[in-house]
Amino acid sequence: MSGEYAIQMKGITKVYPNGTVANQNVNLDVKKGEIHALMGENGAGKSTLMKMLFGLEQPTEGQILVNGEQVHLSSPTVAISKGIGMVHQHFMLVPSLTVAENMVLGMVPTKSGALIDFKKAVEITEEYSKKFNLEVDANAKVMDIPVGMKQKVEILKALVRGAKILILDEPTAVLTSQETTELFKELKNLKTQGYTLIFISHKLNEIMEITDRMTILRGGRSMGIYETKDVTPQEISRLMVGRDVVLKVEKDKAQPGAEVLKVRDVEYVNEWGKKMLDKVSLSVRRGEILGIAGVEGNGQKELVDMLFGFNRPNRGTIEVNGSNIIGLGQREIREKHISLVPEDRMLYGIAGTASIEENLISDRAGSKKLNNGILFNMGAIHKESEQLVKDYTVLCKNAQQAVGSLSGGNIQKVVVAREFSNDPVLIIADQPTRGIDVGATEFIRKKLVELSRSGIAVLLVSADLNEVMELSDSLIIMCGGRIAAYFEDTEDLSDELMGEYMLGIRQQSPEEIRRVCHE
Amino acid sequence: MNKKNNTKFTIIRAIAAMAIALLVAFLLVFLSSEGATLGERFNASIAAMREMLISPLFKKSGKFSTKNFSDVLAGTIPIMFTGLATCIMFAANQFNLGAEGGIMLGAFVTAVVAIYVPIPGPLLMIVAVLCGALAVAVIMLIPAVLKAKLGVSEMVNSLMLNYVIMYFLNFLMNSYLADTSKGITQTYPFRENAQIPQMIENGSRLSWGFVVGIIMVILCWFFMYRTRWGYGIRMTGINQPFVMYSGMNVALIVILAQVLGGFLAGMGGGIEMLGRYNVYNWSALPGYGWTGITVAILAGNNPIYVPFAAFFMSYLTRGCTLMSTNANVPSQLISIIQAVIFIFFAAQQFLAGYRQKLVVKSAQEELAAKAAAGERSDR
Repeated sequence: MSGEYAIQMKGITKVYPNGTVANQNVNLDVKKGEIHALMGENGAGKSTLMKMLFGLEQPTEGQILVNGEQVHLSSPTVAISKGIGMVHQHFMLVPSLTVAENMVLGMVPTKSGALIDFKKAVEITEEYSKKFNLEVDANAKVMDIPVGMKQKVEILKALVRGAKILILDEPTAVLTSQETTELFKELKNLKTQGYTLIFISHKLNEIMEITDRMTILRGGRSMGIYETKDVTPQEISRLMVGRDVVLKVEKDKAQPGAEVLKVRDVEYVNEWGKKMLDKVSLSVRRGEILGIAGVEGNGQKELVDMLFGFNRPNRGTIEVNGSNIIGLGQREIREKHISLVPEDRMLYGIAGTASIEENLISDRAGSKKLNNGILFNMGAIHKESEQLVKDYTVLCKNAQQAVGSLSGGNIQKVVVAREFSNDPVLIIADQPTRGIDVGATEFIRKKLVELSRSGIAVLLVSADLNEVMELSDSLIIMCGGRIAAYFEDTEDLSDELMGEYMLGIRQQSPEEIRRVCHE
Repeated sequence: MNKKNNTKFTIIRAIAAMAIALLVAFLLVFLSSEGATLGERFNASIAAMREMLISPLFKKSGKFSTKNFSDVLAGTIPIMFTGLATCIMFAANQFNLGAEGGIMLGAFVTAVVAIYVPIPGPLLMIVAVLCGALAVAVIMLIPAVLKAKLGVSEMVNSLMLNYVIMYFLNFLMNSYLADTSKGITQTYPFRENAQIPQMIENGSRLSWGFVVGIIMVILCWFFMYRTRWGYGIRMTGINQPFVMYSGMNVALIVILAQVLGGFLAGMGGGIEMLGRYNVYNWSALPGYGWTGITVAILAGNNPIYVPFAAFFMSYLTRGCTLMSTNANVPSQLISIIQAVIFIFFAAQQFLAGYRQKLVVKSAQEELAAKAAAGERSDR
């Protein structure tokens, strides 16, 4: 029997030092030569399980068998030596090195014993590229190649290291639909060559298309192993979330008012001299949600940074309610009632070991309302934080609990509670629901719509197509630092069309794009 | 992990750290002990350890000794101040080690004012100490501003600053201020009205500065936990990008924490000078700043625990002094014990395995409770 399975994980339990139980008695069997899906919502424990399989984390209980042999995967090096490779969701590549140099990192070919043999590196890269039909440009710098190619480099990197079992962590999350189709072709090719693939995703159609069997996780437990051909998407959905979650957010038609945010012809060149934003102009008016869609890394981050004073544009103007905000610090920007739900909530959104209360007041700690002369008005602070915890249904024992001990969704609710409650005129929501549970996602989306309808201007940046389509009143797509398209209405948009704009295959005329300025 | 388990862990960890430190101390005492047989040496070591642990509070007869106790309290005064100073700087994640030079400079400036400035009555005392405190606050602007504006490591700067201060003060003493009628380098005596009165006249030199120290502890706690500036300092210590994004002035907070730390260290120096001495005669760094770092770490950067940590360190120092006097053990041992305690407290991973077990147990209990509750509601 042992010959049949590439991976067996038995009775795996993982408890993190902060007390989070990420996996509970999970079993996973992966047959040799199959594509096995690992499904589950965000936070179901997929990533933790795979981190243990790749030696990045150690299980609290349970055992792992590779090709029938019990192993102790104490580090990725050990996992690699057992033939396990991982393609991370966020690429682990050195941007300033070439593809070939990245390929041979840690196993550099040398000539005369000391010098790096760059030619050999390129040869190796091209050999593997041809063998597995994964086309890459060996001499290009990683920072210059498109996302889809970076992913191929990641896959090749694992293969060069002798991986027979490949873990792909949400490989399609950053890809356009065209790139996804291409990736699937390559994965099927790998399968026919005898490789075993573990495919993490929560996109149903992809799973149905490409996998043989699947393991579904929910709340850290396994919901069973299924043959893909025997289950319907509806069944999978039920197993994954336990109820039919329809993330339809009801919203009335927007009644846009006066212009709040006015960005005109903004350009930004980053510290390595790469132009990240090119003549970007847009307007957001009171009472509307403007969505920004696009594959990550096409200037969205730079734009948001600029709107919140972390960067200065090299050219162009940015005004909020008619006054310039370029060159202002975060305090002055907040004084103009601009709020930001930051993309990286752990870095900017919270102070992890501080209490929920302390995190809720960070933008208003100096306000008259919360101070009695030089001392804090503790009564007012408690009242404010308890009200916010209640209004935003933050699941916690009390407001004195450390914010870092909450789940991702509740942490984001704390961030959102703070950002939405300081009387904003403009809310910039950067990936507001990334990686959080369905309940919190639904809550935050509803809140965004509610606030916009009450007359606040909302700029929504999201890599989640569903989210931008569902929430935005109108939508722009960014590609290569430019606005590729503007849609006044999101209703009749198809994924394919958006994909083509996101990939740069299509591009609207300047006149069409200029409509976003409402002039 | 719940609060109860967390407290339990903290206490067990503190006890374990001390137990290991004392065990190491015992081994060292044993190695340096004299005696014909191993048994004799063992007994001698036990006696020496008893001397160290018990004699700071009790007389030979076993009766409580007020004198010994007030000696210990007097010893807490300077390290309470340097501990507080370090607490505030470390709370902002500023590894400023300048409390050492700070206490020396504070002592010196206070002494100079106490000698040369003719202010009547107890006002002189207050003015002198404030001058000392302010001088150090100003000096701390050097590492603070360099860090805030240019990102220069405050640790390196403050560390070097200690020696700059020491040699500069020695230069001033030797060149201008020394009382040349005396055989050693010391200043002229302070004015009578500059001396801080003693709490007990038993030679312990326990001055009312102790009470000032306790008041400062309370003020510091209020500052750190009940004002927006203290809040800013603590948040900066936890996550600086978060503070910036929230619209607080990070540079100002970084500077404020170090200037305040300097003020407290300087104040400690002044109070120590006027409470314990009648001339200034320090020629080397006094070591109170280094001990203050240990105190701050033992106190977990919370001002309210500083007096306890300072008392503990002072007790240990006193115990070792008594041990070396009465039991023929080198007093340098204190440095080693301090170092061992320091290492075990500072080591984040110390007993992490045990903590993980507690976490797992606690999580499993919660799950079991949840399951039980679920069953009940199903029925």
